[in-house]
Amino acid sequence: MNFLDRLWGAFPAFLMARRNVARAKTRSALAVAVILIGVVAIGAIGAGGVAFQESQFETLGSIGADIQVFAGEDNENGHLTAADVGRIDRVSGQAEIVPLKQANADVIRGGSTAGSATLYGVEEPSALYEVSEGSIPQNWRKGVLVGSTLADRYDLRPGSKVTLRRTVTEDGETVRRTEEYRVTAVLAQAGQADIANPNEAFVLPPGEFDDDVFAQVIVRSDDATTANETAMQIKRTFNGRRQIVAVFERGDIAEQIDEAFRLINLFLVGIGAISLVVAGVSIANVMLMSAIERREEIGVLRAVGYQKLDIVRIMLAEATLLGVVGSLLGGAVTLGIVAVINDVLLGDPFAFPPGSLQYVVVGMVFGVIASLLAGIYPAWTAARERPVEALRG
Amino acid sequence: MAGPDDADSDERETNPVISGHDVVKEYVTGGETVRALRGIDFRVDPGEFVAIVGPSGSGKSTLLNMLGLLDVPTSGLVELNGLDVETFGDAERTRKRKETIGFVFQSFHLIPTLTAVENVEVPRLLDRTPRKTRDAATDLLERVGLGERLDHYPDELSGGQKQRVAIARALVNEPRLLLADEPTGNLDRDTGDQILAEFDEITDEGVAVVTVTHDDYVAQSADRVVNLIDGTVREDEEAVTG
Ligand SMILES: Nc1ncnc2c1ncn2[C@@H]1O[C@H](COP(=O)(O)OP(=O)(O)OP(=O)(O)O)[C@@H](O)[C@H]1O
Ligand SMILES: [Mg+2]
Repeated sequence: MNFLDRLWGAFPAFLMARRNVARAKTRSALAVAVILIGVVAIGAIGAGGVAFQESQFETLGSIGADIQVFAGEDNENGHLTAADVGRIDRVSGQAEIVPLKQANADVIRGGSTAGSATLYGVEEPSALYEVSEGSIPQNWRKGVLVGSTLADRYDLRPGSKVTLRRTVTEDGETVRRTEEYRVTAVLAQAGQADIANPNEAFVLPPGEFDDDVFAQVIVRSDDATTANETAMQIKRTFNGRRQIVAVFERGDIAEQIDEAFRLINLFLVGIGAISLVVAGVSIANVMLMSAIERREEIGVLRAVGYQKLDIVRIMLAEATLLGVVGSLLGGAVTLGIVAVINDVLLGDPFAFPPGSLQYVVVGMVFGVIASLLAGIYPAWTAARERPVEALRG
Repeated sequence: MAGPDDADSDERETNPVISGHDVVKEYVTGGETVRALRGIDFRVDPGEFVAIVGPSGSGKSTLLNMLGLLDVPTSGLVELNGLDVETFGDAERTRKRKETIGFVFQSFHLIPTLTAVENVEVPRLLDRTPRKTRDAATDLLERVGLGERLDHYPDELSGGQKQRVAIARALVNEPRLLLADEPTGNLDRDTGDQILAEFDEITDEGVAVVTVTHDDYVAQSADRVVNLIDGTVREDEEAVTG
């Protein structure tokens, strides 16, 4: 007898299970197919959800460790002053702070207004923005940086000129001032939720703005926890009964988004799990049919000395075999599907985000467990049958 | 197998493989009670070839089930090797079946997914001695003249060949008692003769053979004929075959 025969000889229950599975080919194939679908449902939905989440975070931008400080509703100035910025800087300790000035302007093309845009005034633009074309001058005193959307709209490139008209206060008087700037850099497209999103804005040196007027201060910590502590500290420092500053914590949002994604994913995986329950029912059905069909055969086994538990083992081996085959095929199909999802959402078929493969494994494990559980009742039914009755035919 | 009046012949030297005293078997179906065995005595000694004959419905299969520990009597005593089978639980009875009894069923009951040799191995598959089992199964199949058909599936075998595979299967655990329910029922005379010859050979080795039969010629080659009528053993020597 050859090696394979001996191997099967060591697992007699599986020998019979394998032959039985092979006997009713169509039925076994259908049982394997439902398991496969269940495994794919769990694996692909779970892993796909993780990929989706990952892709959303990519467009949402880096969230979490940044907080924003604005003037509060009880702030008489209506804006933050240089003194406020200094206090925030002291209170924030290690964290890097980026004071931001802000104004609105009209874009003038060929002598008339072509549209409006936001102007940001930042001391160190490189702390907030990435450049896609051109560069930010070392000595940042003049010139303008253009957000990607505006650059496209007005066809601006490094070296182009742009005319902006805005309202400024000069010697206590409000005047309209029109000025021409040279574009030194075009900024990279920023994520939806990025702070001081530059896509529709021009970034100017802070000298171009009123001295003592800051729209917001961005405090960048290392992580969400520190950010949260800093936020508390700032609120304690400025706000007594009156709200002098408003602190906008992005960590909260990040957590909420994260949690929302997790819940949605769990819900979807739950739906996927239902398909495994259906698969389990189908396996149970197949096994019951198998048990009825083999009633006599099982009677013979009992007659020649197989214990009830031996019969249970043989039937469970059969259910497990179906489950294992279904789960392996299902796992392979799932990996294929997830690779496609990864490719579409993340631009790389093999960019499995953390936790993604976990769902595939969970799907496969559940596939086997569902089959095993589904086999228990039919197996016990078959084993309990009295051999005399079974052999009467 | 002995009638009630054989009770005083108990001084035979050998101990019976299986014996029964005042065995009653009743089936209750739909509130009605069928008395399949109405209090019979029997004993089977090693090496005996006993034929059970009788009309349809007389309780032959029921009796065989008692002998094979597949069923327990409603009342009365059945002893296997001197032990009351009533005291065995299901697991114990199953173990005793494996150790001492071989079955040959009327409709063969071979497992269609297994080859001839695998079918013969079935009773020993769970022993996890694949090599020894394979050797024993091969030997047995050669002995019943099927050495060339080891790897054939049941549907590739003739009725007589299937029955010989079934006999080989019944012998693979080296039983002390071989029970056959109409083993020649579906077979032609020649094939039936082959099987009878096989039984002869087995009994020479000390294995007791009990067979239910409708065939006169099977009864004639038996050491002893038990005539069952309506659940009781008829004492007259004339066998009434169905
Ligand atoms: N499981 C059962 N439930 C109810 N009645 C049964 C059962 N098994 C047997 N009987 C009845 O017991 C009686 C004896 O049946 P048994 O099968 O022993 O007869 P038999 O002698 O083997 O007949 P045959 O030659 O037709 O096989 C019959 O009347 C039968 O209807
Ligand atoms: Mg019968």
